[in-house]
Amino acid sequence: MEAELINAELVLPTHFSFKRIQIYEKYPKGQPRGRWKHLKQILQAENYQNCPPDEPNYVNIESPPSMHPPLRICDITGFEAPYHDPRTNLRYANTDVFKLVRSLPNEHVQRYLALRNAAVTLK
Amino acid sequence: MPFVSQIKRQTDYNLYSSTTPIVIDNGASNFRIGIVGDHDTTLLKYFDCSRSGPRSAFDSNVVYQFEIMEYILDFGFDRLGANGSELPKFSSEQIDHPVLITECILNPVQSRSKMAELLFETYGVPSVAFGVDAAFSYKYNQQNGICDKDGLAICPGFTTTHVIPFIDGEPVYKGCSRTNIGGYHVTDYLKQLLSLKYPHHMARLTWEKVEDLKMEHCYIATDYASEARLFQANSIYIIFWTKEAEEKTRCWQLPWVPPPVEEPPSEEEIARKAAIKERQGQRLREMAEAKRSTRINELENQLRGLEFLLQQLEQVEESEIPYFLKDTGYVSRQEIETALAKATQSLRKVKGEPKGEQAEVEEKTDEKYPLVNIPDNMLTQDQLREKRRQMFLKTTSDGRQRAKQKRVEEDLERERKNQLDEQKRLENPELYLGEMRTKYKELCEKVEQRKRLKTNGNHSNGNGMSGGVGRGERLNAAQRERMRLLTTAAFDRGKGEDNFGAKDEDWQLYKLMSKDNDDDDEGPDEDETELARVSSRLQEIDPTFVPKPEPGPSQSAADMPRSRPLTKEDFQILLGVERFRCPEILFHPNLVGIDQAGLDEMAGVSMRRLSSKDQVLEERLTNSILMTGGSCLYPGLSERLEAGIRMIRPCGSPINVVRALDPVLDAWRGASLYAAAVQFPQQTFSRMDYFEKGEDWLRGYQFQYTL
Repeated sequence: MEAELINAELVLPTHFSFKRIQIYEKYPKGQPRGRWKHLKQILQAENYQNCPPDEPNYVNIESPPSMHPPLRICDITGFEAPYHDPRTNLRYANTDVFKLVRSLPNEHVQRYLALRNAAVTLK
Repeated sequence: MPFVSQIKRQTDYNLYSSTTPIVIDNGASNFRIGIVGDHDTTLLKYFDCSRSGPRSAFDSNVVYQFEIMEYILDFGFDRLGANGSELPKFSSEQIDHPVLITECILNPVQSRSKMAELLFETYGVPSVAFGVDAAFSYKYNQQNGICDKDGLAICPGFTTTHVIPFIDGEPVYKGCSRTNIGGYHVTDYLKQLLSLKYPHHMARLTWEKVEDLKMEHCYIATDYASEARLFQANSIYIIFWTKEAEEKTRCWQLPWVPPPVEEPPSEEEIARKAAIKERQGQRLREMAEAKRSTRINELENQLRGLEFLLQQLEQVEESEIPYFLKDTGYVSRQEIETALAKATQSLRKVKGEPKGEQAEVEEKTDEKYPLVNIPDNMLTQDQLREKRRQMFLKTTSDGRQRAKQKRVEEDLERERKNQLDEQKRLENPELYLGEMRTKYKELCEKVEQRKRLKTNGNHSNGNGMSGGVGRGERLNAAQRERMRLLTTAAFDRGKGEDNFGAKDEDWQLYKLMSKDNDDDDEGPDEDETELARVSSRLQEIDPTFVPKPEPGPSQSAADMPRSRPLTKEDFQILLGVERFRCPEILFHPNLVGIDQAGLDEMAGVSMRRLSSKDQVLEERLTNSILMTGGSCLYPGLSERLEAGIRMIRPCGSPINVVRALDPVLDAWRGASLYAAAVQFPQQTFSRMDYFEKGEDWLRGYQFQYTL
């Protein structure tokens, strides 16, 4: 079964002749794999705070917050949105959209808000 | 969907000597690998599809998942045809070529050293060099005369976007800026928007499909607001676009097969069905008839038996009656008589004769209630009790009579009204119909208004699905008033002197507070009955009239469209505003909640960070702006970028935005140029270097881009 799949090139073979350490040796089956570090942990381990501040590094080349006026668009249609519904917190463009906003189930409202990272998150 | 490789394994791996380097452009969505001297690289796209959603070894362009990275490298080397065992003269079981691999700008040293470790330890690579993909792309385009030695490289990638200034052909790292937004976010945004707009087709909107849609249809608007206004003439559900908007709307037709059209049944079919129905009806009627006749027979037999019994009883002595009746199941003569009366009555009922007796009984009221008109003082105690009972019976029967009278009168009244209506209609049918319609509408509104008042108006949100339905909003107006009274009463206590109860009106308060002044359960009011009458009348005379559906809890608005047969339009996915709304997040990352500068602003940020104070140099930089990377393929990007940068630069400064020759592959081509150069071996470091010099050295390691 497995050999057929490999021959049909659907899955990778587990053994490669060009490797010194095979993947099954490095990550044996059934054993917990060593936790990889997330980017945040990697960056913390870099100790950038010890470096001189004028030296560029991964963290300080990040762009600053935008100074341009933020673009406010209707969450549903994408038009310019002069209005904001205080009940659902959605932005909307006109009365038709407002009707739609008020008829949306809460789940959809939250998904629209999550698009711009404004949804209510319970912790 | 399983990932099926379309790339054939190369066969010429063993023809290259062990000094020819292997070049890898390690991107977050595309992985390109090739041997220097190859004219074209092997382009691999990878995603780990074994789990839901794409998973990548990258987080913001930094490799952090080295297990996945190893699978990718395995696959890449395998496709390249690497095969250690065939040639025994090389030390087998390893990749015997120097490797040039790309990384992101200012890669954290941990990621860099892990990558080096992986290549040295697992694959046995003799030496490794790291370089930045965007820089390679810039240099490649510089050699081809697309851009100058001073300039800006703007590189919107898969998860991040970089701007790198180049001065004298070398990247200046302190002027770099990075925003964590890229093609991944665009695709994700499009996918979310479409699945919210078309919840029924969510299953069809897979990541791969949406990525294809993005690449095929998305473009950058020159001015977002004015572009959106083209579409704004209409709402999303009414599809009357302006002409330009219509031309700009793309439609993706999902597979759809029209349902088979039902043919109207033929004459014979109808006749046959009618015949069958008729026959069934006949049979039922016969059955009912048979049942009735047997019942009549039974009753008649019973009657005859009872009459015979009575006749016999005439001849029996009074004292012997119980003994005589022992076998029949009756106890006394009266019981037999009542049974007889009952049987007669039911016989009459079965035969369908009118109940004459009832009327007769009511005629002789006076005889039935003989004691009613006799004064009390002429009666004994028992008679008095009897009189009271009779009085009661009489009033109830009188009441019944009156109600009957009223019903008859009402019928007459209705008949009269109908006749009047009919007369009016015959005089002027058009006018009449119009009048009826307006009347219907008014009544409808009135009734609805009342209902809304009762339930406090929030019709659509009343089912508790909206976001902010608070405690107060769930109550109707009367209940809220009651709550208000209760709370004010509670808070009034202890404030100043208490003179509650001095006036009589004060006590009215309790009446208002008490629960049972809810007038919810009053019957249907006049308006509603009138509405019912008008709508039934309209139904009679107007074939086009459709009564409004009763907005009940069982029949919500969502149920309505479902009853309609599905058409081709229901299986279309329209891309209108979404076509330019999604790539717009590159310029306005705040649309997806990322609070960082957009593409055009980043160019300004980079130049500010250079802080050169050299007007001429800055002009040289803006005169050669190169766009590279997968996300710069959108049409309209260079125009928008130029307009955006013009806004932040001094008036009259030269601005020239160009696109790389091939934004996707140029980084690999540039890297292969460097790998083929004579100086390349000095840029690499071996395993021994790596172990001897340590991490600090690796941190300072930088590829030289000047040849």
